[in-house]
Amino acid sequence: MIDSMRGRLRSGGLDFVLSVVVAIVALLVALIFVIAAGVSFTSGASAFVDGAFGTQLNIAGTLAKMVPLTLVALGWIVVFKAGRFHVGFPGQILIGGLLVSVVALKIDLPAGLHLPLVLIAGIVGGALYADIAAWLWARRGVNEILSTLLLNLVAVQILAWWVRGPFHDHSSPLPLTPPLPNTSRWPELLKNTDLHWDIVLVPLAAIVIAFLLSRTLAGFRMRLVGSGERVARQAGVSPRATGAGAIILSGGLAGLAGASLVVAGTTPQMGEDFGANYGFTGIAVALLARNSPLAAVPAALLFAALEQGGQTMEGTVGISSSLVDFIQGLMIVLVLAATTILYIARRRAAGSRTPRVPAPAAPERQLEPSP
Amino acid sequence: MNVIASIGIGPFDTAWLAAALILTTPILLAAIGELISERAGVLNVGLEGFMLAGAFFSYLITWKAHSLPLGVLAGVAGGVVFAVVMGLLTIEAKADQIVSGVGINLAAIGLTSYLFDEIFGNEAQIVVPTIGQLKIPGLASIPDFGPALFNHDWVLYMAFLLVPASWFLLYRTKWGLAVRASGELPAGADTAGISVRRVRWAGVLTAGALAGLGGVNLAIVQVGIFHQQMTAGRGFLALVAVIFGRWKPLGVLGACLALGGADALQLRLADQNQVPTQVWGVVAGIAAALAIYYVVRARQARPRWVAITLSAMVALTGVVLAFASPHVDLPDQLWRSLPFLLALVVLGGAVTRAHMPSKLTLPYTRGDG
Repeated sequence: MIDSMRGRLRSGGLDFVLSVVVAIVALLVALIFVIAAGVSFTSGASAFVDGAFGTQLNIAGTLAKMVPLTLVALGWIVVFKAGRFHVGFPGQILIGGLLVSVVALKIDLPAGLHLPLVLIAGIVGGALYADIAAWLWARRGVNEILSTLLLNLVAVQILAWWVRGPFHDHSSPLPLTPPLPNTSRWPELLKNTDLHWDIVLVPLAAIVIAFLLSRTLAGFRMRLVGSGERVARQAGVSPRATGAGAIILSGGLAGLAGASLVVAGTTPQMGEDFGANYGFTGIAVALLARNSPLAAVPAALLFAALEQGGQTMEGTVGISSSLVDFIQGLMIVLVLAATTILYIARRRAAGSRTPRVPAPAAPERQLEPSP
Repeated sequence: MNVIASIGIGPFDTAWLAAALILTTPILLAAIGELISERAGVLNVGLEGFMLAGAFFSYLITWKAHSLPLGVLAGVAGGVVFAVVMGLLTIEAKADQIVSGVGINLAAIGLTSYLFDEIFGNEAQIVVPTIGQLKIPGLASIPDFGPALFNHDWVLYMAFLLVPASWFLLYRTKWGLAVRASGELPAGADTAGISVRRVRWAGVLTAGALAGLGGVNLAIVQVGIFHQQMTAGRGFLALVAVIFGRWKPLGVLGACLALGGADALQLRLADQNQVPTQVWGVVAGIAAALAIYYVVRARQARPRWVAITLSAMVALTGVVLAFASPHVDLPDQLWRSLPFLLALVVLGGAVTRAHMPSKLTLPYTRGDG
């Protein structure tokens, strides 16, 4: 997984081309669907571009959607580098938001203190929820993919109960919390749009995670464990502790995404479905970014544009926005296919010089933690 | 379900039994397919997606072609199509099985939701005809238990018959040996002249077809409707069932029955505003059985004091609650998450490491050993 710096520079260009090709192919497939639904090419394409970037409101919507997408993508990248996969982002977003609602509604503080505390609550909520999966994996040998898939389904129920029971706004028949105070919310960056100051988290988090992974001891340990557990153990690094730590850190990032969705959202109340699909879409973002923290930013922009454009298209030309979900899944499939085809091609090319490259395309990853 | 005269204790009556069997069926179908695929070395996280495709396409074709048999075929084919994508990615391109599965799930959720919106979006929910019951003569007329057990559709019978069939296939045929070898020792299987690639393809396609049939069961057997993401986590439960069942057909059946039973129980309890006493009794019984199991096992292995204390405490609490019968109204959402919570507890408590096919999720390349 870890190339040397020089190797990374050399393959970086190819990775970029690959991601662009995948994105173009996926968009073409989307266009075919749009045309099949009876919308002409030009009106479909212009409705999409208009929806994503046409007006100040739409640009703001696109940029606002980048925040949770980038944070979740970074969460995936952290666990991926440590050789673990978990898909608990949707649940961690929801539990992060749940803790945010507690701190926002139950604690009274001035603006400068309330918002930071709310953000910490989001991080803690996501990390705590991820902690369950980390514990199950490290101590009980439970595959973290399965546990997080189940925890996601449980989190949906917890939220449904939360906004109908203990934190229900009794003046409203809808399953919503009372409005969160302004002191707990991100200030608007552009008046009367969805764009809040939380957009600064996008470059900030990307740089912090890139620095963490490439320049710190913790990051080195994660990459070491991710590249092979045996080597890591011989170097005195515990795959269990590192893997569990990475899962918890990524949960914290997802929780922060949840906080943004709650305190930088369109409405001041928290509902049960604020997590939408960001938890899974973020994974697609990370894969398109080829698991590079900095590349996650432009990839998130693309997906945010897809989401925003898809939403507005539903209103303007009547194409269901679920098409966007399909395109996201398709992108994951295409990235995987393209990566391995590229790998095989490289291997063939290398084969003429060296007899055989023994590394498998997928990293030798252990499903269960080793003692 | 009202037709059936209910006997039993509290919520655990024959109507619950019938519902448990019905709710077990889709999970069991998917789990048996997944069992074969995992024994061959391929883990399908996309099982949920296969099921969802099965449900949608069976519903669509039953409505379009006015034909249930065509609907069933379309559902199975829907599952198989996504399984083909899975096979191409993991067996041919040797991409990571888990990430592939995540992508396939997303694609299946998106595609079925999109097509459903486009085709049925502007209309009221269309109810298509469903596959009717097939009373088994003689057995169905046994009082009380007869109708609960032997008055179901053919898909349900088939699901339960697949358990012995898959056992026979895996342990008594050459093909089964090839499947098990491909998951345990692919290099050895290769040396013996078995095409690991072909066996793994067979496994993935079986998982696709059976999960597709599980989706068919949800859409055009149980209700005659489709709604977005109607599988609601059943594919994931099937994955858990394979682990909890320790990769063996009978174990998988037991796990599916437990999950289906919990699902049927939550349906009955969600609309009650008091927890029936019998539920506490059953909790106490299960916890006591667990405690006894751990105590008995402690003679051979290291005693697990935490597990013993915990299960004994739960058992005691259950007994106290059963006798005190307090008026507790637990939120519906807790009952709804019951199968998932059960699955998590099961995963955390099961000692499964020794039973997992050793080459599960690892791609096999000829010559890599």
